[in-house]
Amino acid sequence: MDAVEKANTERQKRWVKDQKVGEGTYAVVYRGREASTNRKVAIKKIKVGQFKDGLDMSAIREVKYLRELKHQNVIELLDVFSSKTNLNLVLEFLDSDLEMIIKDRALVFLPADIKSWMAMTFRGLEFCHRNWILHRDLKPNNLLIASDGQLKIADFGLARDFADPGYKMTCQVITRWYRPPELLFGCRYYSTAVDIWSVGCIFAELMLRTPYLAGESDMDQLKTIFRALGTPTETEWPGHTKLPDYVPIGQFPKQPLRDLFTAASADTLNLLSQCLIYEPRKRITAKDGLNHAYFFALPYPSHPSKLPKCAAQLTAALPLEEIDGNTLTGKTNRLKRKLSSPDDTKTRSTVARRLDFSKPTPGS
Amino acid sequence: MPASKTPLYEASTQFKNWRYSSQSLAKVRASLNAAAVAVIRNTFEVDEPGSSSALSFLTPDEEILLVRLYVSKIPQLCGFFRFPEEVEATAVSYLKRFYLKNTVMDWHPKNVIVLQSRLTALFLATKTTNNPISLEAYTNNIPKTDPSDVLDLEFLVAQSLGFEFAVWHAHRALWGIWLDLQTVPTAPRDRATTQSEIYDAALRHVRASRLSDAELIYTPSQIALAALSMASAQLATEWAESKFPSGSLSLSTLQSTLGSIKTLIEAASHPVDVERVRGVDLRLKLCKNPEKVVGSKAYLAKKAEEDRKAEEKRNRKVIEVEKAMAEGDPFGDELAGRLVDYDDDDDD
Repeated sequence: MDAVEKANTERQKRWVKDQKVGEGTYAVVYRGREASTNRKVAIKKIKVGQFKDGLDMSAIREVKYLRELKHQNVIELLDVFSSKTNLNLVLEFLDSDLEMIIKDRALVFLPADIKSWMAMTFRGLEFCHRNWILHRDLKPNNLLIASDGQLKIADFGLARDFADPGYKMTCQVITRWYRPPELLFGCRYYSTAVDIWSVGCIFAELMLRTPYLAGESDMDQLKTIFRALGTPTETEWPGHTKLPDYVPIGQFPKQPLRDLFTAASADTLNLLSQCLIYEPRKRITAKDGLNHAYFFALPYPSHPSKLPKCAAQLTAALPLEEIDGNTLTGKTNRLKRKLSSPDDTKTRSTVARRLDFSKPTPGS
Repeated sequence: MPASKTPLYEASTQFKNWRYSSQSLAKVRASLNAAAVAVIRNTFEVDEPGSSSALSFLTPDEEILLVRLYVSKIPQLCGFFRFPEEVEATAVSYLKRFYLKNTVMDWHPKNVIVLQSRLTALFLATKTTNNPISLEAYTNNIPKTDPSDVLDLEFLVAQSLGFEFAVWHAHRALWGIWLDLQTVPTAPRDRATTQSEIYDAALRHVRASRLSDAELIYTPSQIALAALSMASAQLATEWAESKFPSGSLSLSTLQSTLGSIKTLIEAASHPVDVERVRGVDLRLKLCKNPEKVVGSKAYLAKKAEEDRKAEEKRNRKVIEVEKAMAEGDPFGDELAGRLVDYDDDDDD
């Protein structure tokens, strides 16, 4: 056996797969552990054999970028090994994601909690952007939450690097509800601002507890955005009518954010509005976001360990004996980690949009 | 120094895992070569006792010569496909890194296995640099190549790279220096147009450096600056002095580093000695690892051993499942779990 293959086998032996926790079209996720320390990990097994072009692009992107990025707020890739026709990514184990937490109606969010999640999101994203990497798929279920409350940006399957201006990129990225208007208009030259728009949508969703701009099709997405934020004018967003897929959508008046986010502070609304500026070049950067007055004003961000946790996380935090003793029921289904695919959003309820937002969110 | 001041490059896998001194590089190659010779000698002896004594194995230097030849073929292939420079540079880096973990005695590019490592490195580079091409379109344009020739080695190449796909390139650093040079206070306003032939010449030196070990020893920006100084010593100095105070220690250290890189680039600019390569190649044919030669006794023996192991494993699985069926409640949770695992037969 070749030395390289031997080294691969050695690496493979370091990790133990325990239990399947999720399955998607191109990967199976297992809960596992490091053999020598029993440290919990997630093992993402990517079935390569089924792709006629070998290792597929999303696996390659994920490995390429996570190999380089080491940051508290970016998921850590601990190891990579291959087995037969599969590629295995060993990732740090994370109990839940922000989507689960947002949807858990039993939880109450304080403004300080939202500020803490936003700070961690901005920190992780600033690190990606500083390393010239666009994420291109930010949404609540790609923001994973560790048992100590730390938020980690995950799923780099659509990420890419950027450097020179004027390099064409695809506009078919980012899950629809979090996709910025320039991409919906078919813009092929874009920047870090696309990720910031997604962050703005997530910020709003944390306050509303339901997706903020939930369009039913790409066309409806633009309409939904314009209905919420007003149709952009040529002064507001110079040149947008010249974008490849531009179509006039109709004239909608600007709704003051204050009408919807009644309980939010002025700083909160200011940062939110800066993330959702139409003109991408004027949208706030991750770095400036971190320096925004919102993060320095009272209340200060909650300590990650004090953040609301959903039931699955509490179960996972319990000592093993208690779980083995069956004192808790229904644990397995809650541990299931959703694999992201652009279509899984369809199943989410559209009824939620009819909720009355005029009331302040509980606890704020 | 605060963490945020660490240059991005120093956080890269290239900086951490693919940087050598010329001595350590020589050592890595010598031990790789020695290990390969030992294994192959042993395989020959098992195949036919006494058969290895007649062989003259390749020396590390001879291996380098062949790798350099393989590397020099990549630009041609890239030109044919009109791949961007990043693909070419990445494929070259992959191939060099690959041969720091594998030996040419296993993977000889002039056989059925021939071009494989080269073709696979290039194909992988198209994907990792976000310039994917379908495998069909790729192999259709390369004579006598099947998709499987490329895919069979993909895992081995990826493993050899440690799944570290990101590469920092000297031609990008050169572009950065060139942009810098247009903004230094002393720059003539029309430098970008009037002095562009200097940039072109420097780029040619960067391309020549790809045939050398420079990227395994020096940083991309050091190589780029050396290439620039070969094209115009004056511009290189102008740039360096805009970054370091003149007469400073770092400036003189830099000068001596640039000198060493220039020597490497100049040596790499000479064409490969075809006669010498032919001789090495001939000897390589005789001492190729027999386990990898389809049809040899050693190959058949290895294959039979693998088949036997696979069969054994299948049998073991069947027994395990039957045991689980017999022991457990067939409708219980636990069994369901095990049956799912049966699907996943790559754990051991």
